[in-house]
Amino acid sequence: MNYGHPLHFGTFLTPRSDEPEAVVDLAQRSEALGYDLVTFQDHPYQPQLLDTWTLLGWVAGRTDRIRLAANVLNLPLRPPSVLARAAASLDVLSGGRLQLGLGAGAFWPAIAAMGGERRAPGEAVAALEEAIDVIREMLEGTGKTVRYQGDHYRLAGAQGGPLPAHDIPLWVGAMKPRMLRLIGRKADGWVATLSYLQPGQLAEGNRLIDAAAQRAGRDPREIRRILNISGRFAADRAGFLDGPPEVWVEDLLPLVVDEGVGTFILMIDDAGTIERFAREVAPVLRAAAEAAVPGAFAGPAPRRTSARAKRRQGIDYDGLPPSLRETAIEPGDIGYTRVKSTYMRGGAPGLVLQPGNTGEVVEALAFARAQTDVPLAIRSGGHGVSGRSTNDGGIVIDLARLHAIEVLDEANRLVRVEPGARWMDVATALAPYGWALTSGDYGGVGVGGLATAGGIGWLARQHGLTIDHIRAVEMVLADGTVVRARDEEHSDLFWAVRGAGANFGIVTSFEFTVDVVGNLGWAQFVFDASDTAGLLERWGQAIEASPRDVTSEILLGRPRTGQPLLAQAMVTVANDSPETIISRLQPIATIAPLYDQRIVITPYAALMANAPEGYHTGQGEPVAHSGLIAHITPAFAADAARLIRSGATYFFQMRSVGGAVADVPPDATAYANRAANFQVVAFGASRRRLDPLWDELRGQFDGMYLSFETDRSVERLHDAFPPPTLRRLRTLKARYDPDNVFRDNFNIAPLTLVD
Amino acid sequence: MPDNTPDLLFGTFSTPVAQPPHQAVDLAIVADRAGLDLVTFQDHPYQSAFYDTWTLLSYVAARTERVHLAGNVHNLPLRPPAVLARSAASLDRLSGGRVELGLGAGAFWEGIAAMGGRRLSPGEAVEALEEAIQIIRAIWDTSTRGGVRVEGTYYTVRGAKRGPAPAHDIGIWLGAYKPRMLRLTGRIADGWLPSLGYLSGGPADLAAMNRQIDEGAAQAGRDPAAIRRMLNIGGQFAAERRGFLAGPPRQWAEELADLWFTHRISAFILAVDDPYTIELFAGEVAPATRELAAAGATS
Repeated sequence: MNYGHPLHFGTFLTPRSDEPEAVVDLAQRSEALGYDLVTFQDHPYQPQLLDTWTLLGWVAGRTDRIRLAANVLNLPLRPPSVLARAAASLDVLSGGRLQLGLGAGAFWPAIAAMGGERRAPGEAVAALEEAIDVIREMLEGTGKTVRYQGDHYRLAGAQGGPLPAHDIPLWVGAMKPRMLRLIGRKADGWVATLSYLQPGQLAEGNRLIDAAAQRAGRDPREIRRILNISGRFAADRAGFLDGPPEVWVEDLLPLVVDEGVGTFILMIDDAGTIERFAREVAPVLRAAAEAAVPGAFAGPAPRRTSARAKRRQGIDYDGLPPSLRETAIEPGDIGYTRVKSTYMRGGAPGLVLQPGNTGEVVEALAFARAQTDVPLAIRSGGHGVSGRSTNDGGIVIDLARLHAIEVLDEANRLVRVEPGARWMDVATALAPYGWALTSGDYGGVGVGGLATAGGIGWLARQHGLTIDHIRAVEMVLADGTVVRARDEEHSDLFWAVRGAGANFGIVTSFEFTVDVVGNLGWAQFVFDASDTAGLLERWGQAIEASPRDVTSEILLGRPRTGQPLLAQAMVTVANDSPETIISRLQPIATIAPLYDQRIVITPYAALMANAPEGYHTGQGEPVAHSGLIAHITPAFAADAARLIRSGATYFFQMRSVGGAVADVPPDATAYANRAANFQVVAFGASRRRLDPLWDELRGQFDGMYLSFETDRSVERLHDAFPPPTLRRLRTLKARYDPDNVFRDNFNIAPLTLVD
Repeated sequence: MPDNTPDLLFGTFSTPVAQPPHQAVDLAIVADRAGLDLVTFQDHPYQSAFYDTWTLLSYVAARTERVHLAGNVHNLPLRPPAVLARSAASLDRLSGGRVELGLGAGAFWEGIAAMGGRRLSPGEAVEALEEAIQIIRAIWDTSTRGGVRVEGTYYTVRGAKRGPAPAHDIGIWLGAYKPRMLRLTGRIADGWLPSLGYLSGGPADLAAMNRQIDEGAAQAGRDPAAIRRMLNIGGQFAAERRGFLAGPPRQWAEELADLWFTHRISAFILAVDDPYTIELFAGEVAPATRELAAAGATS
């Protein structure tokens, strides 16, 4: 009998308060020796011991990898609502390393002496069950309101959260039938201490747990069996777990194979024994168990029944290839909150796959294609406006784990970047070399989406678009083949990827030639925008008249009653001489009365370090339109001013392009509208309000930049791509993605389907 | 009269946000490296966007080297005092004596009740706080024999063992505003920790509040100077004067030194969530304030 959990080993260290360094040192040694887990007993009434929760927090701060648990927490002195919040906190701080071991309480006189509630054994079990309910609800994360009316615990609308970093398993220390049945119903692990068990009690305990689990509609394999053991190394066998390492392995193997123990925790503080067990018992036992029952310990543990209940229709979850299973996130998983939505959009996908290499991307794509009638989205950083990168009930292939950045050839400034890296990470990685790669204006954006569409960033006029720096890509095509595309091979695909890449496959690696970029001048101006049209026009003229080392964007929000309308202009000067910077900024600073200004000389990486860490919490659907334009003419400025003044847009932005962007011939890449000097974008709360005003501008544009467009209608394709470009894209689409698998981002229909 | 070697402390009060996950920790590390004396976090266990403050303090203590740490201030109604005492002593031992204990009687009773805590009236909460402090100090006091016995109205401890002893004499600081709390602070606390933003009359309110603390101390036969007067402040750095604690570092230093001279405030804890401001506060304001205070004291 075994429950299929990968075999884990832990230590059980006495948290002596007279020698706090000693226990911390042993915890760190446990980590260094490769133990999976370090645990501490919890007796808050016992002054010879450190407070265990405090110690767990401290050890989390002094270790990097090892899992942490109390073995087990004294519930009567730790109110569950606060404990849940503390557990979520420690899990996040430690990077998902907490296991929550709970005990109903013992030593009742000592608990009562501390001011805790004295409970009869039956009451203690009932209180623990209530606590498990409360903790589980609190751990569901922010947004959950917990109301609970128990005999021991009452919550009158507590807010759940913070969201743990991983699904914290709830383990319960138990020996008696009532507790074992509770574990079967509600817990994720049984913690037992071998020296307290009578012969046969382990098997009997497992039977009780399994039967209770099945009665509750659960799979007994959801529950890990954790055994605290002690023993002694000696030259010859003197008894059970008393002898050389072979004896230990011989004694422990049946516990794994026959009794289903998944975790052994060594209850010994002696450093020598801890080391010897790690080196001579744990690996041998692992191998012996695998030999005895091949494949049984491959894991991962099955998802909780309650999580499986949230699965969506049409997805063969259990058919997921093993390589993707561990990192896949389902709606019932704790990590789902972190991946369901994007920067601008709320989402409710049925399955988020997080492949870690190109092979896994191929598998993920094949799996997704095998699920018929299920939407597919591809995500790099999740900032997409045109690229949905999430969906409702479908599959998301999230490339976040593909985030490597490496220098391939220092002499030629050739770097390899994976699609899940964010541009702020790229900027930071290149900074030590004195290099930069112009990207967008925001560091949180992912590489993949931007580098397959264009990339209009802070160095656009000096260094062109991001796609202009691509030398080669590795990509996974719709049929699962992996190709390398560059000028010399798959050159048509290489052409298409630079401007319409999202339609052709999943790029798993980019090779870029990057630029030598020193410190930059960086200015932020806040202008009086009362004369809105005049300001926009003068800004456009000033930028066009500037040398290429000047790149700028201007931004206006929604007018507010009683407050002057302001415009914020950001300007980079690709030069680190203060005189040059000032002379470049002078003509821009005088386009309107200034409310505020800030000018600094800064590395490009500092400019890009402008995005917070953390996950996306977008809601709803954004509405945005884009246009490219050659000059900010008086007529255009007047129409744009009317749009801004109407309040229909809360974010109106123009970015400079032109310069080096226009050096590239229009037919060299799928991004063809190279003649424009400006890219214009407006975000609105509703299409109903934004569209009529935007339509008045539309006639003045020379195409648009698809990355800032949310309209899916076919007309927009013609705006994004001039006729020869679109024709070629459709032909290529028919060749590389005839089934139109990649249609999530600004879909170009294959020629065969159109005609 | 302030004595002539003012021992001024400077610290941070950063929001214990759980997202982004490392913001609060990173800011504490910045404060530690910048040479500040204190890192503090508010404690609102019913607030779901924040970390549990005790857990955060434990983690941050392990990630810092010199700076002292405190809740600013702990929510007593959700933290049973005997366990809190042992937790504080444990962290003090682990951190080499870097923990102080900021306590509050509790506020936001809706939130406390939502978490399953007991709802008390303000008067009851002050009494409960006094009982709690008695328990906490008794748990720390390992020089007295026998168990801890406090039969209070709100907390009862019957024979709990004493210890572990903290590594240093942990200060108990109270967030107090009303007369009863201020007198309690004078009677039994080691420090007073109000927030300037809560004083409706601004810094001028400090005079009358200080007097009430002094009266409480006098009643208990204590030296009023034994109670450190601390203050949570907010401010902005700017090139030119824009208002109180809004201007260049030199202006801040003058205003803080004035709080020391006028109101005996000897710890300044800045509400701050960005590293740049922490570095300016530590690098420019703290030394300049210390210089002004020392010069003023000797002149």
